[in-house]
Amino acid sequence: MNVKKFGNKLASLGIILAVLFPFGFLLMLSMGRRWVFPSLLPEVWTPDNWLAIWGMQSGLGASLALSLALSLGIASMATAGSFWVSKQVAYHRHRRRWLAMAYLPYVFAPVILAACLQYFFIRTGLSGKFWGVAIAQLFITFPYGLIFFTSFWTERMLSMEHLIATLGGNTWQAYARVLLPVARGALLTCFFQLFLISWFEYGLTTLIGVGKVQTLTLKVFQYINEANIFFAALASCLLALPPVVLLWLNKRYVFSIGFSGPSRSGKSGSKDQEILK
Amino acid sequence: MSMFLEAIDIRKSFGTEKVLHNMNLRLAEHEMLSILGRSGSGKTTLLKILAGLELPDGGRVLLEGKDMGRVPPNRRDMVYLYQEPLLFPHLNVFENVAFGLRLRRVPEQDIRKRVQEMLDNLELPEQSRKMPQQLSGGQRQRVAFGRALIINPKVLLLDEPFGALDAETRASMQQLLKRIAEDFSITALFVTHALKEALLMGDRIGLMQEGKLKVYDNKKAFIDDADTGVQAELAFWRGIG
Repeated sequence: MNVKKFGNKLASLGIILAVLFPFGFLLMLSMGRRWVFPSLLPEVWTPDNWLAIWGMQSGLGASLALSLALSLGIASMATAGSFWVSKQVAYHRHRRRWLAMAYLPYVFAPVILAACLQYFFIRTGLSGKFWGVAIAQLFITFPYGLIFFTSFWTERMLSMEHLIATLGGNTWQAYARVLLPVARGALLTCFFQLFLISWFEYGLTTLIGVGKVQTLTLKVFQYINEANIFFAALASCLLALPPVVLLWLNKRYVFSIGFSGPSRSGKSGSKDQEILK
Repeated sequence: MSMFLEAIDIRKSFGTEKVLHNMNLRLAEHEMLSILGRSGSGKTTLLKILAGLELPDGGRVLLEGKDMGRVPPNRRDMVYLYQEPLLFPHLNVFENVAFGLRLRRVPEQDIRKRVQEMLDNLELPEQSRKMPQQLSGGQRQRVAFGRALIINPKVLLLDEPFGALDAETRASMQQLLKRIAEDFSITALFVTHALKEALLMGDRIGLMQEGKLKVYDNKKAFIDDADTGVQAELAFWRGIG
């Protein structure tokens, strides 16, 4: 029995170590300098790499700020926009046709989509600009949100909206008091997923940004190409940080919601009989 | 003399299918008219047109003599209740019942008093802090009634409200609705496909067939009409006896 318990604990520890090892290794690398074969660990340990984030020379701080602005902006716009548009699509008589169109950007890889669109971005002067990359990323995040939310707008939600109207509520009140609170979990999940899509986007950002829009993901690849493993590790740590924070927020606020969406009332059973007695 | 609620020559089609053909309806104040009809006979479409949730192809709806044509659903003062209670899942029983009062920005003290009275009336005083998923089907339907009645609507449009309940709960809810209809002097249209329920609930009874409504002067006329199915039902039970 004790051997079995010990085995289970060992297995758990092994799994935890396997999951945490890459992060620990990156953190270690980000604080190291001069790591030459056959040394097991870097020869110099210093926080200088991390302090360089705030300096202008590395450009890491600027990339972090740019990536955060871009991904938070994209996730907010695409979540809000797709939530509203998905409702129009869900209740449209050509719902299937519109949904099929939403899948089109995913028929190609994002980088191929970018190659197809690049000409238009050059002609409009958006190539190599922040707004150009933002618009290009919306091409893949917005349809994702649209597909995500379409299943939220059921006949039941429509009936609920009609009921609110006959109870005297206008459209604004319906959204503020019922639709948005009921959709809170879905909205947060979608925001999180769209943030991740934008945060880790590489191919499309490289092509439309033509290397001038230096997001953190691009910075990681740049350092890897330069064989600067210490800065690549530092950029990777920064890259992993916001998703970890979002994951924690998601766990705390999405999965802790005390209801599981609209419940369906079926035929009442013994509970009714008890109450009626 | 105009009635409290009137529908005049209502027409509605979905594509090539004609659902309502020049349908007329007159309802007096504090009257409950039950409408019997099979699935697809146009009952729900009629209620939705009256509530302003569907636009008719032609005809007029008058409430207290006023044309409702351009009045949106939220200003008609007619509450449409579905077969499902559709309680708001993020609000507890108290907040569900208080919903219409909060939309109207009624003072908090009044809300507390009126909601508590309503819950007492619906025999739900102990359930006010419960969430909808903690209630039984019958309790949910009571909360739905409370949420509608608390704003004193001019007309209550009931679309098979007991359709999802089992037989025993359904019978109890019918009695409850009869009682609160009297207590609150409700004006209502009660749509059902159940013969017995139509007879039990309505002050008058109508039969909806192929998009047309026939309202009977009294229950005897309804029972005597072969189209209503009452005679066939009676013959069946006599046959068993």
